[in-house]
Amino acid sequence: MPRAAAMTVVAFRLGLLAFVLAVWEIAGRMVNPLLGVPPSAVLPSLRDLLLLRSYPDLPASLLLTVREIATAYLLAVAAGLGCGFMLGMHRLVGQAWGPMLAALYAVPAVVWYPSLMLFFGLDAASKIAFGFLLGFFPIALAVLAGIRQVNPQLVVVARAYGAGTVTVFRRVMLPAMLFTLVGGLRTGLALCVIGVVVGEILGSKAGMGALINHAYGLLRTGDYVALVLVTLVLIVGSDVLASLLERRARGWTE
Amino acid sequence: MKVRILQLVTVIAGLGAWELVARAGWVDPLFVPAPSAVALALLRIGRGALAGLADTLGKTALAYVLSVVLGVSAGVVVGSVRLLRDVLSPYVIALYGIPKILVLPWIVLLLGYGTTPAVFYGVLHGCFPIMVLVMGAVRDVDRTLVTVARSYGATTWQLYWKVLLPAIVPSVLGGMRLGVVFCLLGVLVVEMFAGVRGMGHMLGSYANGFQAPELFAATALVSAASIAIVLVLDHVNDKLSRWRG
Amino acid sequence: MSARPELITIEGVTKRYLTSSGPIEALHDVSLSVDEGAFCTLIGPSGCGKSTLLGMLGGLVTPDQGRLRVEGKPVTGPDPRRVATVFQEAGLFPWRTTLQNVEFGLELQGVPAERRRRTASELLGPLGLSGFAEKYPRELSGGMKQRVAIGRALALDAKILLMDEPFGALDEQTRVLMGEWLLDIWRRTRKTVIFVTHSLHEALFLSTRIAVMTARPGRIKAALDLTMDYPRGMESSEMVALRAKLWSEIREESLRAMR
Repeated sequence: MPRAAAMTVVAFRLGLLAFVLAVWEIAGRMVNPLLGVPPSAVLPSLRDLLLLRSYPDLPASLLLTVREIATAYLLAVAAGLGCGFMLGMHRLVGQAWGPMLAALYAVPAVVWYPSLMLFFGLDAASKIAFGFLLGFFPIALAVLAGIRQVNPQLVVVARAYGAGTVTVFRRVMLPAMLFTLVGGLRTGLALCVIGVVVGEILGSKAGMGALINHAYGLLRTGDYVALVLVTLVLIVGSDVLASLLERRARGWTE
Repeated sequence: MKVRILQLVTVIAGLGAWELVARAGWVDPLFVPAPSAVALALLRIGRGALAGLADTLGKTALAYVLSVVLGVSAGVVVGSVRLLRDVLSPYVIALYGIPKILVLPWIVLLLGYGTTPAVFYGVLHGCFPIMVLVMGAVRDVDRTLVTVARSYGATTWQLYWKVLLPAIVPSVLGGMRLGVVFCLLGVLVVEMFAGVRGMGHMLGSYANGFQAPELFAATALVSAASIAIVLVLDHVNDKLSRWRG
Repeated sequence: MSARPELITIEGVTKRYLTSSGPIEALHDVSLSVDEGAFCTLIGPSGCGKSTLLGMLGGLVTPDQGRLRVEGKPVTGPDPRRVATVFQEAGLFPWRTTLQNVEFGLELQGVPAERRRRTASELLGPLGLSGFAEKYPRELSGGMKQRVAIGRALALDAKILLMDEPFGALDEQTRVLMGEWLLDIWRRTRKTVIFVTHSLHEALFLSTRIAVMTARPGRIKAALDLTMDYPRGMESSEMVALRAKLWSEIREESLRAMR
């Protein structure tokens, strides 16, 4: 019976989680608890953090990180859509520059970060730039892929019925490529988030990453884990939001 | 043919424009050096940079081998045992999606500075995409092929060796191609964060020292190496996929 | 001591399946025996359990009740030395060449490479695949793929060949030609064949025996023995009468299955 099997799976999953937490607790205590950070040590730190006792500027840092992500993402979407459409609509340009774009994708993005730090300094600007760089590629490539997969027959038929370029775009191409596009937008957001967070951790004066570095530098490992958890909530939350919007967008096309 | 010409023209025009802009003084040479300055810097740092690159690539290679072995075996085991797959899938995907940079400080704390955290972190980055791809491929193996093999009396071992593994080769290759960039990424990040010897560290110190031409030169070097590796893997991928057409 | 002519015996076989809408009985008390060297066709409406029965003979499905015996021994699992199966989907391994696919069963049995290669190569001629030894399945047509699958089964040199609608996925013309080719192969190799099909034409053209199955739960409703010579003229009066008889048996069951 499928219902019983599903319950078994959930039971095993919870059991595994409990087991891992238990092992972590025991191992964390046996080893230097400062390094091991058993879950029991994290809870009081988490409480202190959320009550703004350990890091009173938590809300400000969180806000800064969110603003950096938002800015990076807006820029990435604008540039990604723009470049993607330009490459997609003009075949020759697309064929020439598309592979060059894809080749850059084969380079781990972190190599650009030192250059960005040189140019923008340690402020928010370098994090936004890095987030932008990371998020731009999947969006542009998704636009390109989306356009390529539109059945050219549909465009021919629309034109035969006298549709102008804008109409062709709105009524034929957009619905056909929406699925791929939305997927790319979602990946782009995830990567923007990662870019900003990585940028902050690799060197920043403010933001969640800076707090994490601060805690780590002072060996306040409990606080460090608590900060990581809060950042994690931010990251997962943004992806959940994106997936909800994706579903909504999917609803529009069906 | 026209495509190639346009690409070449783009690159040359881009470099040319960049050179002119830099010479004209429209950008601060401290931040944006001219391509000619970068080329000269490349010659200057040549030997040191190549040593750094070798260092980084060495760690990456080690991390890569471990990632492939771990990722493929874990992927095959978890993918082929129904219970394991059902229970572990969400965890694996969650771990894949979480930015591992968050645990980097802790890893450095535990493993110190040096090759170990770099390789460890590289494996952490590289094994997940491989594992996820392999898991998916195992799950999607054509059931008919398994039935056929069983009707011919295949033992469990033969099923794994002669049916499952050949069937998932395309996904393994795809994962390996993704994995190499991820491994390199992980190694570079640790080198930048923890000042471990290698290209990552070199890039970081050039940036801190405001040595823009050297920084650009080193960045170009790493990028070229990475692109070259991926191209080689793509080529190997094509060669091994003749039967797929 | 006389040699037992019955190579295959099926006695009182029943099989039930649990589905989301409750248990269904696929086969009910099915009994059949097949002589050595016979070409026995199982024919019946969809869902009558023909494939299940074949799966049991191939050792992939176990009955809930009843027994199946091959050469007097009970069937306990796949037995490639005695029984070879051909499925409706050719099931060729896409990463293997034609030759490597034909060798597959022998490879599993640990036959040395030299011998495998020779056996497989010798089969290519009769299979009509000379010159296609190094081709991959994606380069072959549907009919060719099935021939490779049949070749793979023949390579085992098992006494019994089970075929589950092997030509079902092919177009009409190819089907007819494949039927003629199969007949030729059968007469040369003298195997015992159990053949599942929907097609009356195939059943009448190929078989020495036709077992008609009822709609679910499947039973053997009737068995016709055909003693005509090969190759058969499908327009002879005897054949026409036989076809009418066969159709009347089947039609009833098909209607019942549709309800």
